[in-house]
Parts: sequence; structure tokens; C-alpha cells
Amino acid sequence: MRSFQDVLNPVISKEFRVRMRSGKTPWVISLYLAALGTIIFTFIYLQTGNGTYFNPNRSRELFIILSYVQFALISFVTPGLTAGVISGEREKQTLNILLTTNLSPAQIIIGKLFSSISFMILLVIASMPVYSIVFLYGGISPIQLLKVFSFYLIGMLAIGSVGIMYSSLVKRTGIATVTTYATILGYTILTGLIPQIFRSFYYLRSTSRSAGSVPPEWIDWFYSINPASAMLTIFEGDSFIKGLPIDTFYAFIIFFSFVTAISLLLAIRFVKPIREPLLAKFFKKEI
Amino acid sequence: MIQIDNLTKMYGKFTALKNLSFEVPRGTVFGFVGPNGAGKSTTMTILSTLLAPTSGKAYVGGLDVLKYPKQVKKLIGYMPDFFGVYDNLKTDEYLNFYGSAYGLTADERSHIIPQLLELVNLSHKANENVDSLSRGMKQRLGLARCLVHDPEVLILDEPASGLDPRARIELREILKELRNMGKTIIISSHILPELAELSDSIGVIEDGQMVAIGSMGEISQRMRGHKLIKVRLLDQWEEVMQTLSENPYITAVEREGQYLVAGFNGSEHEQANLLNQLIRANYPLVAFSETEGNLEDIFLEITKGVGS
Repeated sequence: MRSFQDVLNPVISKEFRVRMRSGKTPWVISLYLAALGTIIFTFIYLQTGNGTYFNPNRSRELFIILSYVQFALISFVTPGLTAGVISGEREKQTLNILLTTNLSPAQIIIGKLFSSISFMILLVIASMPVYSIVFLYGGISPIQLLKVFSFYLIGMLAIGSVGIMYSSLVKRTGIATVTTYATILGYTILTGLIPQIFRSFYYLRSTSRSAGSVPPEWIDWFYSINPASAMLTIFEGDSFIKGLPIDTFYAFIIFFSFVTAISLLLAIRFVKPIREPLLAKFFKKEI
Repeated sequence: MIQIDNLTKMYGKFTALKNLSFEVPRGTVFGFVGPNGAGKSTTMTILSTLLAPTSGKAYVGGLDVLKYPKQVKKLIGYMPDFFGVYDNLKTDEYLNFYGSAYGLTADERSHIIPQLLELVNLSHKANENVDSLSRGMKQRLGLARCLVHDPEVLILDEPASGLDPRARIELREILKELRNMGKTIIISSHILPELAELSDSIGVIEDGQMVAIGSMGEISQRMRGHKLIKVRLLDQWEEVMQTLSENPYITAVEREGQYLVAGFNGSEHEQANLLNQLIRANYPLVAFSETEGNLEDIFLEITKGVGS
């Protein structure tokens, strides 16, 4: 009879073991919590420093700040955890050996992603007590809290998948890490700027049009795939994104799930030692 | 068990393998010899399903490595020329990980891993971190890792490189044991005397082409056109040299220390007659044997050093 150990992806169980034994792990967790704690306590101190009580109405504001900071930390830590997982195996000359085992490239990639993401989830769970300080003062609904943590999870998966894709594509860990950071940063800035740019172009071209004309609604849809604005809709509603057929939060989830799937498929393809041409499967019978 | 048919591999304009063909029968050890860059590692990497040839076919156990990589992986244990180990992993955990990667159950792993550690003489290091092991121990552990799923074929690329003499001898003894277990082994090495001792047949590759293949005796005879007879004496060197020179099947005789080495192109019957002649002449004969020659000499004679 097969035990749980036999069913679990061997890469995940090995990575858990190795990661949790590393001396760096407790430091990463401590520094992460220290960074979050510092922000919360600085905010509370600034509110109460002149001897007044902490205004519970500011709790919601603190929660929003904390959520953004936590997502920024996730965006910062996740590439560091994932962008070296395959290139690191290559550098250590262990990837070829792994590829001659019964593990498929998909199992290797999924195992690497989930073991890295699990560590990130551990960081987020470890931050729960810090969150509870904010939650203590109220002003946040459980649904919002659930949405924020779902947002983190989807964000981690997408960023992690992009990191693993670069790790499979690029031979050097350093280059893969820098490329992942650049992609995440570039994506966030571009999706925030594109609606602004389109809007400016619209107004430039519409000077001759009738006064009071408004740009098309689809321009604002870009905000739904921008992490910063998508997260804001969890707290403020999506009134500033007009005409989107579905809730902004779900649009973000769908788009980031798509990014995750594409990145993982590419990562699996890049890690394969022998790659068939993309359309070979479809034409095989005819050849 | 292993069959290579007209294998060609090109890296851009550089041709690493040029229509390479050879076979390795089941249960034999095939020594792969050649200068650096001759194509040994490329051939082994193709056999390990990690590289696609430009043309030609490679089969392991009758299976095309390109068409059936999953099935081939179950048949082979591959040890590359350079390989790393994972930090923060103990020796038995290292084997346990690869055991599970090969699909062995926890029960099977707990049964086979202690046996493997004993085979490679690392039982006493089972609870030590892999990265703390010496190079020789890591090589032995690598060999144990190749064996974790009990493959029929072992593909060992330079397993003895960088090892001290003791580690080399230990590795050689393990390989002999594996040969006795009936494994088919394809092994490359630059340590030619050891390879000659271990291998049933040798393939000499240069510039992507097989320049000689066969048993040591066959290659030696093919190259020289005759066998080598080695005679050890206590005394009377000149007289025996004279007798040997007069034999119509002896091509040349020279003294090498305590031995006389003679080229011989007669049949086994004529070889027996020669031995009989020396005994009847009452020479102080200590030993009379057919020698396959020295792989190092053969290697130097065959290869031109194109790749190096």
C-alpha cells in the first residue's frame, strides 16, 4: 500500500526538507515579520504619539496600507524564491540527473513551484498575528480579508510561475532573478500607465469632436489587471473601472490564472531536454 | 542491449559525432576511450535521453531513446562526468529522494537503500550530509544513486575522474561486482589500464568516429596483425630469443625487463607447439602467456590527437 510519502511529489518533500534545514529560513521569516511589524507599529505610534488614543476608524486605512506592503513584500520575495529553482539545479549540475528519473518535466516544475509558494504561504500565515492587531480595531469585513488573501495566493502563483519560467529559460540564476524582477516591475508600471496614455491620445485626437466626449470604457479595463488598482477595488469597490462585464477582483483572478498557466507551460517546455517543435504533435500523422 | 546506428550529432557547424555505430551485448562492460572532445559524453548523453541526435538512432533494450524516453529511463542509470549534490541532505535522504523520483515505494526504498550503501561502502556515512563527503565518496554515492531503481544498464561517464588511487581502486571493485551482477555497463575513462582490466570490449573514438572496437586482444591483433606472446624466464635470455626468432610464426622479439615479448601470427595449435618446443629445450621458463598488449599503447597508436 502506498503511503502519503509515496503519493507526495518527491520534489516537494525534498525541497521542504532542504529549505527548512537551511540557516537562512528563520532569518527570512524573522526579517519579513520585522518589516511588517515595523510598519504597523510605526503607523500606530504616529497616530498615538501625541498622547491620544488610536482612532479605530484609522484601522481600515492601516489594513489597506498593510495589504499593499504585504503584496509588495510578496512581489519582492517570490522571485527570489522561484527564479533560481531550475537554473540553480543547472548550476549545481543536478538537473540532468533529475531529468533521467521517472519524474516528468511537469512534475519537476510543479514540485518546485509549490514548494517555493508553500514557503511564501508560511510567511503570510506567520504574519497573521501581525494582521490580527489591525483586525482587533475592526473596520474590515471577513470577505475583504478572504479576498486579500486570495489575491496574495493568486499573485504568488503568477509571480512564482514567471520566476520559474525565466529560471527554466535562462541558464544563470542571477540573470533569471533580475529578469523576473524587471518583468514584474515593468508589468505593474505599464498596466498602470497604459490607460493614462490611451486617455491622453484620445483627448489629443478628440479636440475637434464635440465637447464633453468621454473615452471608451475599455481603456479602464487595464486597471483590472494591474495589481495595485485591482487590490484597491477590494476596499473601495470597482466604481472607477466602468463597463467591465465581471467584478474587477474576478477579472484579476482570471487574468493572473491565465498568466500562471502560460508561464508554467512554457517552463515545462523549456526544462525538457529534448523539445519537439510546437506543432509537431498535430502534424505527426501526416508526416 | 545497447545499439547505436549511424549516430550523428551537430552543434551548429561542429560535428561531434559522425555516423557512429556500435553495439554492447547484454551483461557486458564496454569501455569507451577517446581524447577530450572525441564524442564520448555526447554519445552517453544521447543514450541517457538528454540529447537528441541530428540523425541516426540509439536503442537501449531495443527501445529507441528518442521515441520511448520514459521506458528507456527505467532501464538506465546515468552518472554524468560532473554532478552536484544537494546541500542540507543526508546520504540516505539523497538516495531516498532519487528512489521516490524513480517511483519506488517507501517500503522498497527502506529495503534497498541500506543494501546500496553497503555495496558502495557508505553505510557508516548514512546520516552525514552529502556535501560533507569526500570526492571519492560522492562518486560512490553517485553510483549508488544510479542503482537505486535496479537498472539493467549503467552509463558511467568518467566515474573515476579526480579520484585518488584508493578511491579509484574502491570504485573499480564496485564496478567489478556490478559486472558480476550481470549489469550492462558502458563506461568512459582516461585511466586506461583500469578500463582495460574492467571491460569486455573497448571502443576507441576520435573526432566523432569509432576508430577501433572489439576486445583488447582483437584490437591489438587487428592493429599489429599478430598476437603478442609474453615469456618470463629466469635465465638464458639470448638463447630463448634465438629460438623464438627461428620460429616461422614469430614476427619480432624484444626484451622487456623479466619478459621476452614476441609478435606471433600462428594459430593456437602452432602456439602450443612453440610452448612445447621451449619446454623440451629445458629453458628456465617461469611463465608463457598470450598478452593483449597495453591499452595506452594501443590508444596512442590509433588516435592522432585530433580532438585534443
